[in-house]
Order: sequence, then C-alpha cells, then structure tokens
Amino acid sequence: MGSVVEINPFTRVEGHGSVKVYLEGSRVERVELCLTESPRLFEALLLGKSHLEVPEIVCRICSLCSTIHKVTALLAVEHALGIEVSGVTRLTRELIALGGVIQSHSLHLYCLVLPDHMDLRGVAELALAAPEQLRLGLEVKRVGNLIQETVGGRLIHPINITLGGLGRRVAREQLLRLKEELEAILPACREAWRLFSAPSPVQQLAPPYCLALDPAAPPLTGELFRTSDGASFPVSRYREEIRESVQPHSHAKFAQVLGREATVGALSRLNLAGSPQSPAGPVLYHEAAAIFETVKDEILGKDIRGNNVAQAVELCQAVERSLALIDQLIGMGGEEVSVKVVPGSGRGSAACEAPRGTLIHSYAFDNDGICTEADVITPTSLNQGAMARDLLALARGMEGADAQQLGNALERLIRCYDPCISCSVHLIKL
Amino acid sequence: MTRPRLAIAGLTACSGCQLTLLNCEQEFPEIAANFELAYFPMAESGSAADQEFDVALVEGAVSTPGDLATLFRLRSASRLLVAFGTCALHGGVAAMNNAQGAREQLMATVYGEAGGDFASFLPSPFRNFVSVDFSITGCPPEKPDLIALLGALLAGTLPPVPCYPVCTECRSRENLCLLLERDQLCLGPIIQGGCNARCPATGIVCEGCRGPVREANVAQELELLLERGFGRKEIERRMKRFTPEWNYGQRS
Repeated sequence: MGSVVEINPFTRVEGHGSVKVYLEGSRVERVELCLTESPRLFEALLLGKSHLEVPEIVCRICSLCSTIHKVTALLAVEHALGIEVSGVTRLTRELIALGGVIQSHSLHLYCLVLPDHMDLRGVAELALAAPEQLRLGLEVKRVGNLIQETVGGRLIHPINITLGGLGRRVAREQLLRLKEELEAILPACREAWRLFSAPSPVQQLAPPYCLALDPAAPPLTGELFRTSDGASFPVSRYREEIRESVQPHSHAKFAQVLGREATVGALSRLNLAGSPQSPAGPVLYHEAAAIFETVKDEILGKDIRGNNVAQAVELCQAVERSLALIDQLIGMGGEEVSVKVVPGSGRGSAACEAPRGTLIHSYAFDNDGICTEADVITPTSLNQGAMARDLLALARGMEGADAQQLGNALERLIRCYDPCISCSVHLIKL
Repeated sequence: MTRPRLAIAGLTACSGCQLTLLNCEQEFPEIAANFELAYFPMAESGSAADQEFDVALVEGAVSTPGDLATLFRLRSASRLLVAFGTCALHGGVAAMNNAQGAREQLMATVYGEAGGDFASFLPSPFRNFVSVDFSITGCPPEKPDLIALLGALLAGTLPPVPCYPVCTECRSRENLCLLLERDQLCLGPIIQGGCNARCPATGIVCEGCRGPVREANVAQELELLLERGFGRKEIERRMKRFTPEWNYGQRS
C-alpha cells in the first residue's frame, strides 16, 4: 500500500514550502519538493513601470535579500541605459551588500540552524537554553543590519542606493561608527565556525555541481560564470545556458545549468575559489583565511552539508572586507557621487553573488525608459533541482525510519541549502 | 502570569514584517521571555497550527485559496488579529496592478501555459474577508511600531494610532521639501506618517509605503503634481504601488 509522509510547512526557513515523500511499503518511490509560496508575479508587475521604479519595486521580492535584489536591479538597469557610476557609489554598494551578507548569514546560522545543533525547536528555546550564544549571534546580526540601515537609510528595502548613485553619501562619522561596531564583532565571527563544523547526522550526499561568478572578478558583481567542471560562460548568455521549467507541484521554477542541476551559495563560491582553475585559492582576508585553512576539508569537494560552515567562513570575510572598504571610503575625496540618469531604450543584465548564491536580473526598456521585459533568476530556483535530488537520496538512505525522524532529517538538509522561498517564486518569462 | 500566546505568520509577502520582529536584536530576548511564540514557522519548529492564540500577527496580501484558509484559521483561533504591514492592510506591492484586472494574464506572463494550473486571485487586504482588530503599517514596518504594540499587549491594551501625514514629521525635521522646493513626485502629503520621514530625510521622495493617511487631501496632491508637469498616468502608477484603490477626488 502506498503512503505519503508530508512535511508542511518547512520551518525555520524563509517562505512557504513543503516536501512529500511517496512510499510503497517502506520503499521510497519519489520525493516532491513543493515551494508553495503564493505566486508573486514580479516580472509581470514590472512591465509598464519606469526604469526609476523597477529597482524600488523589485527589491520587495524578498525582505532578507532586499539589498542585493536592489543592487543587482540597479546594475542591470544601468547596463541597459549605459550608465557608469562613480567609485564611491561602487564601493558604497559593495559595503551595503556585505551588510546584507552579515545579516543574512548570521540570522540563518545563529537563529535557524543553531537550534538543530543543540536539539532545540527554535530561537525562543535558544533564548532560554543558550542565551549567551544567541546574544552574540544577534549582536553580529545587529551590526549587519546597522550597515544596511546606515548606508541604505532603511533596514529592509533600502532607499539611499539609487539609479546612478546615492541619495546621500555616507558621512565620515557614520563610517567610523560602523568601523567600531565591526571591530567589536570580529572576535565572535572568528569563532562562529566552531558552532557549525560538527559532523552532520545526515548521511553523505552527492558532491555538488558548483556554479558561481568568476572568483577572480571584481567583488560584488561579475561578467563570467564558472562551474566546478571547468566550464564557463558570460553572464550575457545566461538565457541560453540556464534553462528553467515549470513543475505542476511548485510555484518556483526548476533551473538547469548547462543541462545539470547546479548548486550555488557559500559552498560553491569557496569551492570554485579553491579549485585548480584558481590556483591562488580563495582571496580571503587574514582571519577568514585562517578559518578556511582549518575547515577546508569540510568544504572542498564536499556535499551541501558543508554549506553552513562555508557561510561561517564568509561571515568573517564579510566583516573583514567591510572594514577594508570603510577605510577606502574614508580616504576618498569629495568627488561628485551621483551621475545624471537619462531615460532611453536598451537592454541589460547583471549578476551578483547574493548571500544564498548567484542572482541574475535582466531588463529591457523602450525609448521612454518604460520596462518592456523583466527577468529574475534567484539562487533558490537555481538550487531547487539539487535540493530535490538530495532530498530523494536522503529519504532513500533512511528507508524504514519513522516519519518524525525522516521529517527532521529532511528539514535539516533543507536548512543546509538556506533556501529563500519568497525569492524563488519569482518567476520568469518562458 | 501566563505569557500571551502569539501566532506569527505570512501570506503573499516578502517575509519582511516577520523579519522586522527578528530584527529587534536587542529586544528579542525580552520578547521571547514575555511572550510565548506559539506558532512562528519562520523561526520555530514543531508547533501545531491547531491551537488558540491571544494575538495573531499576520503579514501579506490574500491571493490564493491557501492564503484565505490560513487567514480564516488564524482569525478563528485568535482573540486579536493584527494586519501586520502594508500588504495585509492595503494589498501592497502584489496588488499594484489590480485595476488592470486579469490575474490569469499575469500568471501566463510568468509561468506560460502552466500558469493555468495555479489557483490565484487579485491580491486583497485582510479587511475584505475578516474583521481586523489592529494594524501596523509600512513596507517594511518600523520597529518602534511593533515594539509599541507588544508593550501595549502586555499592559492589556493597544497603542494609539497616529493620523498625520509624512509631511508633519518631515517639516519638524526641517528637511528640504522635495515636492514644493524640488518639484519631485513626493507622496508625503497623503501618506500615513510615523516613519519620521525616513526617505525625504535621505533626499529621496516618499514612495507611499505606509498607505493613505486618514482624510488625505488626494485631489490637492494631484493638482500639485499635475502643475509640476507630471502626467496623470505616472502619478496614478506611483500612488498604486502600495495601495491599489484611491479616491482621486477626495478633499479633506
């Protein structure tokens, strides 16, 4: 007799999703990953809106990732209209994106994943069982948010980063305050990896087919994708190389990269940076490099269980890189930060490394600067195929386990991927 | 004293309102100590949905049969229902194209033919379906508004609701007026204040994320913007970004 084990909803992830495991006796027949977030339809909503409005609207796809959505949208619109921004603008955008990384990684690691490592149900129990760990984690998260609020003018859906520049340049005193706060959390970030490098109770899985922007590219954004089998393709060719399809049970699209199920995110970024194509190894600052040396055996060539410790490496890297950027920004002269935006027709794409992985935005505009095409590919839709594959492998490996055990293990695996389901249900033109 | 039992959930939304709670980093331990987070799937595992709650904080617009079922369930199970954020209160960004109708067309644009398989209707605010006891506006909501609500709940009451436009706080901060002095498309005069004029203080126009202020002088705003050369279409498009329906002839 067939039966179904259902985990609904996923907990401790952002957005709505569920998994159905179809059993024939104790044998696992198939697994259905359903990202059931309500359809958001952003790509359709953007049509007919002006080039100025697009970044302001599209960042509302997702709260956790609103900063990097806005930055990527700004870059894509600027590519479409042929706008070159100033050095101060570029560095300021990278700084706010790093604030997003610090906030997103620390929220995921300390509030959502850490309870798994301590057999707790969530952040409320964590507040009672490990108040000091949680306090440190929240402190790191607060500083990530402080960067986003100071630079962006608002904590979620930042306003101060605009087409062609900035509403207002971040003042020296504000930068110095951020520097002080970042230095204060550096010790906690240096130690974070210890919490997440415990051997996973989940069985070994297939090594991922990694996709990330070329690690040799300038930070924040890049023009070239690389994969772990040595292939590469330019961002401008993403429509040909990344194919999306709709599945009846999910509101997110399944994406295949060069015909394979790819994995994006911290694990893929560090793997590609540490691969033979990048002999120099990942370009990491002092503390992050030391952590990477310690935990690289859990990351290089490893499956998705290494993603959380990879995020811990990146957390430290983001703090160190932010400190370096602040010094650079303080040293820059009083140049004009914003450039004039002239509406016109054009088409442009941009890709950034969002906290959860590679994010692509692409737009086209008519002569009045009104949006005629919009396309967004999110990390979670890129990861969806690999997630479904790993869930099936794990469920098969656990045949005979009771529903509770199976459910816990599957949810834990999903948290390794750090999915962002609001984002994934974004949607693309077919 | 038993701790008030909270349900925190989201419908069609970006999770930003729920994230605002988790963004209260310094207050969070105290919140966790004073409230029972009885149902909060975004941050808590293992809580059954079929319980009773003192207060349900729910974000998002209602756009699917599943959303509606969740809303009815939480309404029936909770003493107080709070519409948490602009989408829950006014429809928000998901509803901006409602006037153009045809949800099917949007679905087809995004999902192709497969879009016909997903059930979805025009995104709507909670009040179209259920009674709402309190609301927090904003996209995203302001942390102090959330903290004020939680504090008031502990005292057995609800906080006062401001009913002045963004301009009130903007003027008291002595910001440059982007509408009158820079001829920009600022919606401040007709939008609910309480954000301390966050955007104009950064030199960015008010985009209207907190929805209409009570007795907004919509007609006057329209005249001011038309005088400055903005087209009626563009003005309406901006106004609908967070609130799909306006009475454009309304004068206060």
